[in-house]
Amino acid sequence: MKKFLAIVLSVLMLVALVACGATTTTETPPVEAETPAPTPAQTPDEDEEDDEPAGGTLTVWCWDPTFNIFAMEEAARIYAEMNPGFELNIVDMAWDDIQIALTTAATAGNLDVLPDIVLMQDNAFQMNVINFPELFLDLTNSGIPFNEFAAAKAGMSMVNGNNFGVPFDNGTTITALRTDVLEEAGYTMEDFENVTWNEFIELGRSVLAQTGMPLLATEAGGGDYIAFMLQSAGVSLFNADGSPNIADNAALIEAINVYLELVESGVVLEVNNWDEYIGSFVNGTVAGTIAGCWILGSVQSADDQAGNWGVMSIPRLDIPGGTNYSNWGGSSWAVTSNANAELAIDFLRHTFAGSTELYEVILPAAGALSTWAPAANSTVYAEPQPFFGGQAVFADIVRFSGNVPAITTGVFFYEARDAVGFAVVDILGGADIEQALQEAQDLLVFQIG
Amino acid sequence: MYVFLAIAAFLSIFPLLWTAISATNSSVDIIRGTMLPGTYLLQNLNQLLEMADVRTAFINSARNAVLLTFCSVLICSLAGYGFEIYHSKAKDRVMSMLLLSMMVPFVAVMIPLFQLVSNMGLLDSTIGFMLPTLATAFLVMFFRQNIRSFPHEMIEAARIDGLNEISIFFRIFMPTMKSTYAAAITITFMAAWNVFLWPRIIMMDPASITMPMLISNLTAGYVTDFGVIMLAVMIATLPTILIFFFLQKYFAEGIAGTIK
Amino acid sequence: MQMSERAITRKPKLSLAQKRGLTGWAFLAVAAGLIIWMNFYPMVRGFYIALQSGVGANMQFAGDLNFRRLFADPQFRQTISTTFLYLVVQVPIMLLTALALASMLNNRNLKGRGIFRTAIFLPCTVGLVAYALVFRQMFAFDGLINTILINVGILETGHNWLGTAWSARLVIILGLLWRWTGFNMIFYLAGLQNIDRSIYEAARIDGANPFQQFWKITIPLLRPVILLTAIMSTNGTLQLLDESLNLTMGGPGITSRTMAHQIFATAFQGNPNIGYASAMAFVIFVMVAVLALLQMKVGDKR
Repeated sequence: MKKFLAIVLSVLMLVALVACGATTTTETPPVEAETPAPTPAQTPDEDEEDDEPAGGTLTVWCWDPTFNIFAMEEAARIYAEMNPGFELNIVDMAWDDIQIALTTAATAGNLDVLPDIVLMQDNAFQMNVINFPELFLDLTNSGIPFNEFAAAKAGMSMVNGNNFGVPFDNGTTITALRTDVLEEAGYTMEDFENVTWNEFIELGRSVLAQTGMPLLATEAGGGDYIAFMLQSAGVSLFNADGSPNIADNAALIEAINVYLELVESGVVLEVNNWDEYIGSFVNGTVAGTIAGCWILGSVQSADDQAGNWGVMSIPRLDIPGGTNYSNWGGSSWAVTSNANAELAIDFLRHTFAGSTELYEVILPAAGALSTWAPAANSTVYAEPQPFFGGQAVFADIVRFSGNVPAITTGVFFYEARDAVGFAVVDILGGADIEQALQEAQDLLVFQIG
Repeated sequence: MYVFLAIAAFLSIFPLLWTAISATNSSVDIIRGTMLPGTYLLQNLNQLLEMADVRTAFINSARNAVLLTFCSVLICSLAGYGFEIYHSKAKDRVMSMLLLSMMVPFVAVMIPLFQLVSNMGLLDSTIGFMLPTLATAFLVMFFRQNIRSFPHEMIEAARIDGLNEISIFFRIFMPTMKSTYAAAITITFMAAWNVFLWPRIIMMDPASITMPMLISNLTAGYVTDFGVIMLAVMIATLPTILIFFFLQKYFAEGIAGTIK
Repeated sequence: MQMSERAITRKPKLSLAQKRGLTGWAFLAVAAGLIIWMNFYPMVRGFYIALQSGVGANMQFAGDLNFRRLFADPQFRQTISTTFLYLVVQVPIMLLTALALASMLNNRNLKGRGIFRTAIFLPCTVGLVAYALVFRQMFAFDGLINTILINVGILETGHNWLGTAWSARLVIILGLLWRWTGFNMIFYLAGLQNIDRSIYEAARIDGANPFQQFWKITIPLLRPVILLTAIMSTNGTLQLLDESLNLTMGGPGITSRTMAHQIFATAFQGNPNIGYASAMAFVIFVMVAVLALLQMKVGDKR
């Protein structure tokens, strides 16, 4: 058997040597030939059928037929009116799958499989642009009016001061609460306006004592909570030089303490996964939720709670720089280096970065909120919403979004968020907070190194 | 024994039953833990058809899976036959070496494989879909192990009757090994029908979408409609169940009756 | 040397044996060629990637850097021990249960065999999304399992199944048993058809009870198929991704995360490190290969 193992291994190695040798000679030239110049050109590729912005076809990767895809279809309709013959080919792909496809294409060097436009999660935007600079076009001088977007939102898709993404949906963090439950405990939405987390916890304790309902639920570990709390104070998990800022980060320690207090007081119910989380407020196990404003779609799925919801901005950390505004999620459009650049940019400029009509259609139909300032002046945003007791929630959320502090996510956002999340699990299990954070920092340093 | 089997059968069926019931309920009711059939089946169906091209995905999946199953079972049973009927030490070693191929996680070979298939211009094609799993060491070994109990006398008898080696395989061996083929077809079809990661990276055109890709897309939104997803899951599950149901009687009949 | 060996043990006529040998090679050539082309070639390329570090177009040769890094990686170490826990607990239970079910369903006098067979096979056809959702709901804090355990009086208050490390792992093991027992049963059912029924008749006449028949006849005669399923299950468990990714998301923390999940996360979730992920994959490869060789040594006797 030993002899056999030796034979197998030596055969494998032989094959390995032969294949590696063959690889370097046969594989490299096509890769070079297919890859565009290292600095992506602003001019469209020659293989695209049409250089003129008249007519032409664009391919887009994005997800969610009721939200992003719907918005893209509407944008195509609007753009086709000014550019007859224009066609948009939308590929429905979950975000996780888009990330896999981008990584695969970039690593394999097959950039010609990329579409013209890709929708990208904001948290992953800087990571992908920094990792795969050969994949995306720099849009800074493309004529798209980036100054008309909320600064914090546009900042999510910027690298080294250059714009790589056209901002799309709004991820402004909101507190959504059941007004009927609050009333039972003797409170109104106004009591939750501009509060600190400590004040919020006191209110939550009182509601819990009187009604038996926790105010909120979240996925165990609280990684998302801590991330948006930090952004509300304009704090990042990284220093300006890209090194981790975890172990002695005062804002982080405050955020973790707040989270621990939320869990220990019973104001936040920890659940184990997303469906349980959605169930928590749909079932009426808890009296509300804090999340990105995109959660309103799920909130409104419980018809029997219509009229009993209100929306407020979030509590603030009681530290210098703490604000009541933050961001959770959201996404932006990137133009790839394989694109018919002229057409793709023209399309985005006249739709997501230039059409009030588009945003007026997709807001009521899909609940997709704009981060493009001119759209927010539309009367559609000011309409009272019956589900929220007549509150003009969309105008309120757009108002919140203007105040969100901008932060840098950098390359290692997900790793940092997870490392902190693991530390919080340990801390909830009784570990020392400083030691756990030091371990998280060490883990992150290991992952970066 | 009946009690034991009944419990095992119930535990096995329960989640599928739950899926079927959920397909008739609204998303909110599913989250709330309903266990009773609801009235939302038609709404879910309309919503599903509006959100996704189920017809295209189903046809693609069926074509890919049927072709792959047919070719793969043929190629691998030929190989298993070659390994066992013409058994030799050298062939044993080759078999062991081939087995090594199934021990690397797919994630590790995915990118080189993508390069290979994409450089051949086979993205968005059934051939590209089939190539990596057209021959698997697992299926070859499955046939080899099952052929071990195949009566060699039958082959000798056929040779004396003047049949050539290929005819023996198709006329004597294949009909005799019905139970083995039934099992092989079932598991290969199931794997081919459910494979997700590989088509996801090579199928770029919306016209090439498969059922698992469609279901993955349905789960991607801010708002997850569980009723619609469960209906899609039911539609995606039916073919495998049907295939098993029609083939399962062969598992029990097998070759016992045909020998001698 | 091998030729002469076979010539002595098998057939008296050398030329015929040689011809037969060549026919055998012809039968297996297509499959072997495809496996080398579509599996070994990418594996070798993958190994080449494992010697590189960096991302995208900026991959650079780094020698054994990724492999040295593995030994200092506490997360990878943890996922290895978790995965082996699944292997040691789940595979033997699953294979024995599948064997027992198969020999029960092989009984010709059993009524409703087709129904039982189909029912027990069903779990592995259920889509992953639905299966993960059902299991998560059953083991949720206010889910079915807690409700039953509380009503029966085993638990006072609900247990947070997916929020506690040991029980999250248990849920994964239960999920695996549920999903794959029926699948393995198929192999045994197909294999049992090849056993001559008269052997059982003879044993019954000699006074062997069903349990003795199971141990003394079924298991030895099914050995080739049992070996196959053992290698396959070992392989499948060491490469386990679905349950970890979809059922528990590896949580709480990474306590229920498997090696393959760790590779997947390294390659595609967050910052991609394909080189390092490939290096991890080759560690799995070596482990599976060694275990498979051991199993072949024990099980593949003629």
